[in-house]
Amino acid sequence: MIELHGLTKRYGEKTVVDDLTFTIQPGVVTGFLGPNGAGKSTTMRMLVGLEEPDGGSSAVNGRTYGEHAAPAHEIGVLLDAGARHPGRSARDHLLALAATHRISAKRVDEVIELVGLAEVARSRSGGFSLGMGQRLGIASALLGDPETVMLDEPVNGLDPEGIRWIRELLRGLAAEGRTVFVSSHLMSEMALTAEHLIVVGRGRLIADISVADLVAQSITSVRVRSPRTAELRAVLAGDDVTVTTGTDGALDVTGLSLEQIGDRAAAAALTVHELTLQRASLEEAYMELTAHAVEYHGTLTTAGSSPIPTTSATPTPERTAA
Amino acid sequence: MTTTLIPPDLTTAITPDHPAEQAAAREQRRSGDQPARFAGVVRSEWVKLRSVRSSKTTLFSAAGVLLFVGLAAAAFTGGLLAQPADAGDGPGAGDPTSIVMSGLMLAPLIIAVLGVMAITAEYATGTIRTTMMMVPARLPVLWAKVVVLSAVAVPVMVVTSMVTFVAGQALLDAGGTATTSLGDPGVLRAVLGSGLYLAGIAVIGLAFGALLRGTATAISALFAVLFLVPGLGALLLPSSIQDSVLPYLPSNAASSFTSVTPGPELLSTTTGAVVFAAWVVIPVLAAAVALKRRPI
Repeated sequence: MIELHGLTKRYGEKTVVDDLTFTIQPGVVTGFLGPNGAGKSTTMRMLVGLEEPDGGSSAVNGRTYGEHAAPAHEIGVLLDAGARHPGRSARDHLLALAATHRISAKRVDEVIELVGLAEVARSRSGGFSLGMGQRLGIASALLGDPETVMLDEPVNGLDPEGIRWIRELLRGLAAEGRTVFVSSHLMSEMALTAEHLIVVGRGRLIADISVADLVAQSITSVRVRSPRTAELRAVLAGDDVTVTTGTDGALDVTGLSLEQIGDRAAAAALTVHELTLQRASLEEAYMELTAHAVEYHGTLTTAGSSPIPTTSATPTPERTAA
Repeated sequence: MTTTLIPPDLTTAITPDHPAEQAAAREQRRSGDQPARFAGVVRSEWVKLRSVRSSKTTLFSAAGVLLFVGLAAAAFTGGLLAQPADAGDGPGAGDPTSIVMSGLMLAPLIIAVLGVMAITAEYATGTIRTTMMMVPARLPVLWAKVVVLSAVAVPVMVVTSMVTFVAGQALLDAGGTATTSLGDPGVLRAVLGSGLYLAGIAVIGLAFGALLRGTATAISALFAVLFLVPGLGALLLPSSIQDSVLPYLPSNAASSFTSVTPGPELLSTTTGAVVFAAWVVIPVLAAAVALKRRPI
C-alpha cells in the first residue's frame, strides 16, 4: 500500500507536485497517468526518499520509505531502465543490489530467469536494447519479492511480445495481493493493464477513479439514424439537448438518454434504424481530463483559448430550434 | 527461499484465490532475510568494483606506472641505459630512494581516477539512484566505498612501492651507483608512505567524485590541487606567501613523508602526514554532508 498526504514539491517558484493526496490499494494494478511534466516521476522519487518533499508525507506499507530496514522487501522500484553500468553484466548488477539485503545469488538467478535475460545475464550489459534494460530494471524491482511494486514507464521500448508479457506480469503480481503502481503517459496502455487510475496534471490530482467508472463517465452522445431525420430532430429538440448531423446523415444527440430518445421516436411513430451509445474512447476521456493541465502542448490551441479539442469526429454543433 | 513469481509463460495461470494467504506466505519467507547491514553494503561495493574492467585497468596502470617509471629512472641513473642528452638533475637526483620512486610524479593522477570513477560512474549511469534506494540511509554507501577502495588500493600500492624499491635498488646496484636499503633511517617509512600516499589519493578522488558528481570535473579539480596549484604557486606566488601555502598542498605534504630526508621547504614528516590525512578526511566528510543533504 502506498499513501500520500498533501505531498508537495517546489523547484524555485514552480510547484511540480501540488498537494497530492491518494492511496494505492493492494490487489489491483493502479495506473499513474499524466502528461509529460505532470510530476509523476518527482512524486515517485519522493516516495523512495531520493528527494525531500517540501510539504506533506508519504508512506509505503505504513512507513516512510527511509524507515524500512530492508526497503527492497517492501517496495520494488524501477525508475530508469537505463540505470546500469555498460561494462557490468546484468548478473553482477543484480548481485551488487542483492548484497545490500543479503539476498542470495539463487534469487538473483531466479529473477533473471523470470524476466527472460538468462542467456545474456553474464555478458556486459552495454549492448542491451531499451527493452532488455526494462527487463533488467524489472528484475531488480522484483529481487526482494516486495509487497509493493512501483514502475515508472515500464512499457517504454518493449516490443509487442514484451508489452504483453509485462501486462500479464503486473496483473499476476496484483492477483497475488501485491500493490502495483505503474506510471505511463499513454492511456491506451493503462486501459489494458490497470483497474484503477490516478490522473495528475501540473502536479495536481485530477482524478482518482476506477477504469470502470471512467468508462461509464465517458458516454458522450447517442447516435440515432432514421429515414425521417427532420421530424426526429423536431421531436428531440429541447433546451439542454444538442443534436448534430454526422456525415452519413445520422444524428448525434447529447442531453437525452438512449431510452428517452427511443420513447420519443416511438411516441411520434418514427422509424429508427439505429440507436447506439457513443462512448468516447478512454484515450479521449483522458485527453479531456488532462486538457487543462497539459504542460507543453502543440499548436492545436491558440494562446489563452480553450484546451485541445477531443480528436473524435466532432461535427460542428448546430443547435436545434428550441 | 522459493519464489511466488511465476515464469512469464505461466502468468496467465496465476490463481488469485487467496491473495491474503499469499501475502502472509511472502511475509514468512522473508522473515529469515537480514535487513541491509553494513557488511552487505561493503560486499555490494566490492561486487561493483570487481565487476567492471576499468577498475582493474586503472588500478594496475597506476601500479605499472609506479614500477616502470621507477625502474627506468634507476636504469638511467645507474648508466644501464644511455642518459638522454638534456637530462638534468631529475627529482631527488642523487637520493637512491627518490630515484626509484620517480613514478610518484604520475601515478597519483591515475589512481585518483579509480577513486573518482567509483562514484561518478554511478552518477553518469544513473545507478546511484538504485544504490541509494537500496540503502536509504545513504552514508553507509560512502563508507563502504571508502572501505573497499582502501582495501584494494592500500595493499596493491604498498606492495608495488616495495617491489619498485627493491627492484630499483638492484638496478642501481647493477649500474654501480649508490644504493640504499629498507634498513637505513627513513627509507622504510618513505617507501610505505609512498604506497599509503597513493591509496590516500584514491580516497580523495572518491570524495571529490562524490562532491562534484562528474568524472571530468572531479579529475580536473584533483589535477589542479595535486599538480597545477603547486606548480603555478611556485612560479607566481610571492615567496612570503609560498612558504605558508605550498607545503600544505596534498602533494607537497605527502613529499614530507615519501622522501627519506624532506627538504627545508617541506613540513616535518609528522606534520606532513597529519596535513595529508586531513586532505583525505575533510573531503570525505564534506562528501558525506553533501550526500545526506542533496537530492540524488
